[in-house]
Amino acid sequence: MLSFVKRHRIIVASVIFCLLSLHLASNRKKGTGGEAIVRYSLSLAARPIQITLASVRSRVKGMWEGYIYLVGIKEENEALNKKMYALLEENNRLKEEIGLNERLRDLLKFKEESPYPVVAAKILSLNGFGTGENWTRTLTLDRGTISGIMVDMPVVSTQGVIGRVIETLKHTSTVLLLTDPRSDIDVIIQRTRIHGIVEGGSDKLILKYIRQFDDVETGDMVVTSGLSGIFPKGLQVGMVTRVEKGEDNIFRYIEVNPSTDLRRLEEVLVITQGSPLSGIENAGNSGT
Amino acid sequence: MKDFLIFLPLTVVYLSFKTTIAFSFPLPDITLLIVLFAAQRGTSVWGVVLSFVLGYTEDVFGAAVLGSSSFSLVLIFAIVHLASKRVHFLTAPARAVAAGSLSLVRGILTMMVLMMSGIYVAIFPQIFLNAFVTAAFAPVILPAFLWLSAIKVPGAIRGGER
Repeated sequence: MLSFVKRHRIIVASVIFCLLSLHLASNRKKGTGGEAIVRYSLSLAARPIQITLASVRSRVKGMWEGYIYLVGIKEENEALNKKMYALLEENNRLKEEIGLNERLRDLLKFKEESPYPVVAAKILSLNGFGTGENWTRTLTLDRGTISGIMVDMPVVSTQGVIGRVIETLKHTSTVLLLTDPRSDIDVIIQRTRIHGIVEGGSDKLILKYIRQFDDVETGDMVVTSGLSGIFPKGLQVGMVTRVEKGEDNIFRYIEVNPSTDLRRLEEVLVITQGSPLSGIENAGNSGT
Repeated sequence: MKDFLIFLPLTVVYLSFKTTIAFSFPLPDITLLIVLFAAQRGTSVWGVVLSFVLGYTEDVFGAAVLGSSSFSLVLIFAIVHLASKRVHFLTAPARAVAAGSLSLVRGILTMMVLMMSGIYVAIFPQIFLNAFVTAAFAPVILPAFLWLSAIKVPGAIRGGER
């Protein structure tokens, strides 16, 4: 027996680690104790890299938008080159400042108008927008428990719902976007007040449990119902873009376009306190 | 053990790059190529551990279902290790075909684990695109790994070639 294990040690080890992986996957909701330590260590290791790369991304984006497009002018106005580049650089910097100011002003306006206390956070990284096994849709924020962020807090932008916090560390937190397949949000159609559940479908949203005879049309706005205990009532989720009969003849197949362009997000707001009803709802409602 | 010191930081940097600057672009599956590389040259149990750790890191990094990546990577390590006794990926086309095929296998395995965890996602278009990109870059990246792993121990180049 021992000689068999020694001779096939790699295969034996592979089987053990495969079983361990399957065990982890099947117990995903329970979680393991060691998981938090690994997450914390990885966060510590990756945070400086992510901050540096995020800053590089923002600079490159600024250069691309404000400078590269205008390179052709150089040939036509050689005499004014130096002055132009200096002005462009200044202009680009100002444009970035204006863009940032506009975004922050919108966030501030939203923050002031919002009846809930919110914390503004910058996005460090986006997971799952590339290729391959990137079926997840999450993002990492530069705020964590030290800023009062806690698990299950709603994350919004000025355009509407972004997702909810699923993990917090001291200085960072992870947000499960509403487009993630694991996300489900209790919603209502704004026009007809019909209830449904919006589930993530990677790049779109699927509105479920709407019956064949319910009044839903393309262009209807979908907002949070406030019943989940996580999202306050009335936040924009998206717009209905496709309504079909559905395969089961009971419910309709409805696609919803998220109200926020998740790829273009740079700053978000975390609602640090739920609606006055959320405490009551939480007691009897553990879903999203 | 040396592979850990080289490939684990490389994976963290790769995942950071992928999630900050290049989140919209298709990138080659570096973790899969590391596992392919390790399985081809190594006869140690550390290769299995490395595959598991890389998969676990990827899952933690992407806030995915823990075990989904590590399962596929460990299984791929075992497959390549068994195959490497008969098949050698010496030429660029062979490396590309191997990497592309394994990328497809990885995608299917991940989908299976997700289904087992109650998550039903259709990621076929992404799986094919990822396999194509990984196959295209494999002939360049795999020799680069060989060079990288031989930086400190020159003898490893001889040991790494088949």
